[in-house]
Amino acid sequence: MVATSHDVMPDIELYQPTDEENALALAATLGQEGWLLAGGQDTFGWLKDRNKHPSAMIELTRIDAWKGITETADGIEIGALTTLTDIVNDPLIQSRYSLLSTAASRVASPQIRNVGTLGGNLNQDARCWYYRRGLDCYRAGGNICYADSPEGLNREHALFGQSRCVAVSPSDTAPALVALDATMVVSSENGQRLIDAEDYFVGPAVDIVNMTVLRPGEILTAIRLPNTWANAEFYFEKVADRNVWDFALVNVAAAIKVSGGNIEDARIACGAVECVPRRLTNVESAIKGKARSEDTANQVASLASDGARALNYNHFKIPLMENLVKRAIRG
Amino acid sequence: MGEIVRYKRDVWGEEVILGVSWDLLWVVAVAVLVLLAAHAIIMAALANKKMDKPSAEGRRVSRHDVFDRAFHWITALAIFVLIITGVAPIIGLRIAWLNIHWISGCILTLVVVLHIIRAIFWQDLKAMILSPTDFGEPFDSAQKPGKYSFEQKGMHWGITLVAGTVIVTGVILFLQIDTPFWDRTNSMAESQLGLMFLLHGLSTLALIALVATHIYFALRPEKLFYTRSMIKGWISEEEMAANHDTSKWSPKEAE
Repeated sequence: MVATSHDVMPDIELYQPTDEENALALAATLGQEGWLLAGGQDTFGWLKDRNKHPSAMIELTRIDAWKGITETADGIEIGALTTLTDIVNDPLIQSRYSLLSTAASRVASPQIRNVGTLGGNLNQDARCWYYRRGLDCYRAGGNICYADSPEGLNREHALFGQSRCVAVSPSDTAPALVALDATMVVSSENGQRLIDAEDYFVGPAVDIVNMTVLRPGEILTAIRLPNTWANAEFYFEKVADRNVWDFALVNVAAAIKVSGGNIEDARIACGAVECVPRRLTNVESAIKGKARSEDTANQVASLASDGARALNYNHFKIPLMENLVKRAIRG
Repeated sequence: MGEIVRYKRDVWGEEVILGVSWDLLWVVAVAVLVLLAAHAIIMAALANKKMDKPSAEGRRVSRHDVFDRAFHWITALAIFVLIITGVAPIIGLRIAWLNIHWISGCILTLVVVLHIIRAIFWQDLKAMILSPTDFGEPFDSAQKPGKYSFEQKGMHWGITLVAGTVIVTGVILFLQIDTPFWDRTNSMAESQLGLMFLLHGLSTLALIALVATHIYFALRPEKLFYTRSMIKGWISEEEMAANHDTSKWSPKEAE
């Protein structure tokens, strides 16, 4: 159904649990019918345009246990309901994992960061406008991709991992978490699953209608950052059409350990080039043991776009991605 | 029960076919299981326990050449992989299924083409042709078949029709995705694409039913010697005499 704006919200059964047990029980009971609501910045657009029709909604923002930032023996744990503003302003994150606070500070606008949560930013749906407009494309359960057609407008779409759908991961914090080797804590009535950030996101080849491995009944409740990458040298840059309130055309997040001027270890990930944050393992391998310098950056930057397949209108993303990676490496 | 055909709105807002409703997958699964279970129960009730099974000992005659056996098992494997990879996303299994699916589809298509060529030029094609007299075979215990029974011919042509539809529609859908050989063009009208998905889905459901039935009969005690012949190539002369009319089929002795 093609989108039409309406003045009032559709009728939805609203559940507002105040503790974890109730939330997980509701998620288990409602399954796919239970839409998880956090800051609502992704949700309300869907509902207003009548392009998703959940019959029930579980509002999670009243659960204090899933908010806040705490120091643990192995690093820090961030509740998935922590707002992006809290992450941006948190002294612990600023001092040890500034990659994440910088990435969070580049999300949308101050107003959105005030209510938008880290969990919401990670779990938000694809921003392909054909999909968002309510067309029955592959991602919506159909059998065609409007963006990857001769007339399709695909300037913002994927360079890698296209498998029928060419939508990209719109999150700014996701590549930062991949670079920081974060672990996602996924809870359900059956217990917890710990998933590497890199494995949390899923491309269309494996699941064309979901962007994460979350199953019905599961909730992302926390994100753990290990000490391993605390206080490394970080770099985050996002290029978008506008400086605020816009999604990335390409972003890059890098965590680099330097010893004696040489790169000891590195994790680099790019967003908005694939349906998942794309970790650049070939670049990481190529720079290990080399000086963190302009020369090194120039030598390896082209590796970043290895295997890229440009669509009709997104060829510009290839040099953009290479240049961002170059800037991340030279620091 | 849900609908049989799923519809959607195309980019112009017109209602077009999206494909088959996958609720039918469960309907087919349950129907096949019930029918095969009923057959097994009836056959068990009617079984004459005193009836001697023909012996597998003694002289052997050749039933399937090694090429034909290889063809059968490659086809079987390709169909299995196609069904599993096709059904996986429908039932929520998260695997990267599409590449495996089309590669298996290419293998199946190639093997079927080779089989057709071999059947026309090197095999006795007439042995598989259904003639009007064959239709009396199930009702006349005195009428024995040549190399293939009425049921075997029926299964062969049923699978030929269904697999043929799966292959033709599959090749058309294959052209709509990116492969190492070409980039997709999304050039088909959505209504035609939906029709292809519908035919592909319906023929897949029929194929699942036929494959399940084929496996069931291949595992039935009285038919196991046919399954053995598809593995080892031979049946005994006694098995041939008990089940076939030697005037209609005179195989060479097995090596």
